[in-house]
Amino acid sequence: MLEQGFVSAAAIAASVLFILSLGGLSNQEKAKRAVWYGIVGMAVAVFFTALGPGIGGYWWLIPMMLIGAGIGAYVAGKVEMTEMPQLVAALHSFVGLAAVLVAWSADLERRRVMAARAAEASLDQFSAFAALVATKAPDELMFLQVEVVLGIFIGAITFTGSVVAFGKLAGKVDGKPRQLPGGHMLNAGAAVLSLLLAILYLNGAGFWTLIVLAALAFFIGYHLIMGIGGADMPVVVSMLNSYSGWAAAAIGFTLSNDLLIVTGALVGSSGAILSYIMCKAMNRNFINVILGGFGGSQGPAAEIEGEQVAIDAGGVASALNDADSVIIVPGYGMAVAQAQTAVSDLVRKLRAAGKTVRFGIHPVAGRLPGHMNVLLAEAKVPYDIVLEMDEINDDFATTDVVIVIGSNDIVNPAAEEDPNSPIAGMPVLKVWEAKQVFVCKRGQGTGYSGIENPLFFKENTRMFYGDARDSLNTLLPLID
Amino acid sequence: MKIGAPKESARGEARVALTPESAKQIQKLGHECVVETGAGLAAGFNDDTYRDAGVTVVDGADALWRDAEVVIKVREPSDEEAERLREGQTLIAFFWPAQNEALLEKCKSQGATVIAMDMVPRISRAQKMDALSSMANIAGYRAVIEAGNNFGRFFTGQVTAAGKVPPAKVLVIGAGVAGLSAIGTATSLGAVVRAFDVRPEVSEQIESMGAEFLFLDFEDSQDGSESGGYASPSSPEFREKQLECFREQAPDVDIVITTALIPGKPAPKLWLEDMVAAMKPGSVIIDLAAEKGGNCDLTKPDERVVSDNGVVVIGYTDFPSRMATQSSLLYATNIRHMLTDLTPEKDGVINHNMDDDVIRGATVTHDGEITFPPPPPKVKAIGASKPKKKEKEPTPEEKKATELAAFKAQTKRQVSLLAVGGVLMLLLGQVAPASFMQHFIVFVLACFIGFQVIWKVSHSLHTPLMAVTNAISGIIILGAILQIGSGSAVVSVLAAISILIASINIVGGFLVTRRMLAMFQKS
Repeated sequence: MLEQGFVSAAAIAASVLFILSLGGLSNQEKAKRAVWYGIVGMAVAVFFTALGPGIGGYWWLIPMMLIGAGIGAYVAGKVEMTEMPQLVAALHSFVGLAAVLVAWSADLERRRVMAARAAEASLDQFSAFAALVATKAPDELMFLQVEVVLGIFIGAITFTGSVVAFGKLAGKVDGKPRQLPGGHMLNAGAAVLSLLLAILYLNGAGFWTLIVLAALAFFIGYHLIMGIGGADMPVVVSMLNSYSGWAAAAIGFTLSNDLLIVTGALVGSSGAILSYIMCKAMNRNFINVILGGFGGSQGPAAEIEGEQVAIDAGGVASALNDADSVIIVPGYGMAVAQAQTAVSDLVRKLRAAGKTVRFGIHPVAGRLPGHMNVLLAEAKVPYDIVLEMDEINDDFATTDVVIVIGSNDIVNPAAEEDPNSPIAGMPVLKVWEAKQVFVCKRGQGTGYSGIENPLFFKENTRMFYGDARDSLNTLLPLID
Repeated sequence: MKIGAPKESARGEARVALTPESAKQIQKLGHECVVETGAGLAAGFNDDTYRDAGVTVVDGADALWRDAEVVIKVREPSDEEAERLREGQTLIAFFWPAQNEALLEKCKSQGATVIAMDMVPRISRAQKMDALSSMANIAGYRAVIEAGNNFGRFFTGQVTAAGKVPPAKVLVIGAGVAGLSAIGTATSLGAVVRAFDVRPEVSEQIESMGAEFLFLDFEDSQDGSESGGYASPSSPEFREKQLECFREQAPDVDIVITTALIPGKPAPKLWLEDMVAAMKPGSVIIDLAAEKGGNCDLTKPDERVVSDNGVVVIGYTDFPSRMATQSSLLYATNIRHMLTDLTPEKDGVINHNMDDDVIRGATVTHDGEITFPPPPPKVKAIGASKPKKKEKEPTPEEKKATELAAFKAQTKRQVSLLAVGGVLMLLLGQVAPASFMQHFIVFVLACFIGFQVIWKVSHSLHTPLMAVTNAISGIIILGAILQIGSGSAVVSVLAAISILIASINIVGGFLVTRRMLAMFQKS
């Protein structure tokens, strides 16, 4: 057994390593080192805590860890890059569930200690966490209860919310916003009820209050995320990421463990910032996204005149052969069609012909922040030609050809031109300023938001209909 | 069907409606191609190159008109050629039906179908056969080249050892296809280009070509979409304002290229005698509207005139023909696209579908009837657009003032946030036990560090960031480890489950992050 001093030192080392790990993600080269900082930090934290004073139950602990590690490694090795959003959502749910379980256990331990105190029995019999609880003063125990409530509430919302998000992203649950009759009143009701239960619990009610509280929070998580549509998933996933962090921090308070608090706070703020960035990229506020659906439009949307003109692979190929500069704007459609490898081949061919090829990525393209970057990286597209919206938006005017693959709302000029549009004011990629735009799209339908896209009717736009991967594969042999 | 291209009979016309390249494409539609001997010579295509492309070369116009079922031409037919038309034959050429009513009547009585390339409606789908645009493009280019030929200085500004050369200043009036093409050519030669058009919605196009748009502040601006993208006559007040603007420009500019045309009307006079007089000697005016009477007072069609003060006024009307090879290539492609639309099955059979907007619009006689003017097309040519008001650049003082105001507002917000936060902490400190406050300090500081660190994360690494934070949030395993040694069986079981799922999280999260990061490669 190691002394408490060792454990504390390890905690400090782990905290520093975690911060370095997150900070290292500022660029792709450093990132490869950064992930090792994280791994080492975690190993140090787990190893020293497990060997710390008052820890027992190794017969349970080690097999469980090994089984968990095995499952984790298997899943991580098998997952497709297009399935990343699902995986991340699923992993969040584990943190949420673990938080609920740990908080329950903490309260059970508290009850045992209280019972012992009431019976004026010796407090020395307790081991592990109970031993720590036994040293706490009454007012500290009061705060412990508040922390338990918070841990359960946040953890439970994270758990069911992530499960629903996983279902939606994996296509196992319908992606459309869906709510029970009563809508957000149900959520509000459940929240008020939870508060009442929490007060009851703090005033000494039984363990059942915590179970009902968890059940109510499970319901809120489920119902809240069910009411949010597929394209808002980047915000939802980052929000759940944030919650899983706050849940860990709340548990850290319960267990008086600073390492948990620090790590939870880091993860929590990371998720909060990501949600903020995503919301900003959609020009919507957080509340609006979470409460689901678009705000009511302020008037009739502008009528679109003109027609959508289709083009075949030959036409696109000849335009690409003539072009000097090309920008590709991928969206969720590229992920759905698994077209990233075809895109990569196209880029390689165009670059070999001496053309400037770049990618323009909108912050909310895909179903996860940065989703497109990962897919393109998987297809071996060099990251230094993958640019974000602000870096490339002014270059469209001097670009010969833009290829839009499976994105719609993020290239919709109505956001800038039509103040009545539901997406008015959302920053978009100004693809229409280029000389020619080819839109690779399955059919004539509208995007997720159900808004007509005037881009498709512009004079310099041609529609290249068909499955993105098949279209690009027919296009490839035609490029010299 | 046999598609035949005769030698152009108009004097000085060097273009030809069929090139070896377009012939190959037309043959793919199942047609046969015939050309009159020597038809392409002036445009740089001799008979042998046609033969190589599989085209039959016939001697003399008579033979060609007799053989061909579809005759493709550049200019409208002469009287003699119109005589040769017969029933069932199709003629595709520039026809100008509004100006050539007698000719139209004649073609009708001969029973031929006539497709006028100048009547192709201006809709997106028909752009590939819009021969007026392709010819105007050439005219605009050639106008600049012609101006350079008559202008005694460089277009581009240079600083050389032998002295400084100022750039030439070019004014383009009318930003249609010809005008835009002239703007593009002149800018790429290095000139300073300004342009004017009555339709304010083209300002964007002008600026995109690299010229400065001369903005007239006038209430009642035209909307070009009403007239299919062409200009229409303007009110007298507007005209006055416009002339005033030009008068200001006249002493400053070296080269003026006018391209202002209104469909079916004589060209508006926009560059008056006094403006010519105000120009510097050696300046050049190229009047692309010369055929319709010219935009300049001094213009004489097909002539080069020098004014009293030494300004050269050029009124050539055959700019496209002066670049016969290029114009023939483009025009033949336009014709080829028209034939593609006429042969939808690609089986060599012409299907004259009068329900098709484009074919209906371009057909002027069909089945012994005059079908001109056509009904308006079902699709509007271009969407109406609102003229954009130029935003005023703020002055440095205003900028400073707004910056200062923003700074003050920010300071105010931060200070009030800090104050509120401080008060809350104080209140919390009153009720919370000391041990809690210690942990709370750690928590707040960690949040701060988190915010500082995460803002720096590159956007493209957001997915790895989520995966790694996910793995790190598996730290909750510590909570379970601390509890698992408990004496209570329930607690132990709960803790064991927590350890299991948190381990999945940790290992899965880190491994998948590593996999992702390994994929990012530099080019």
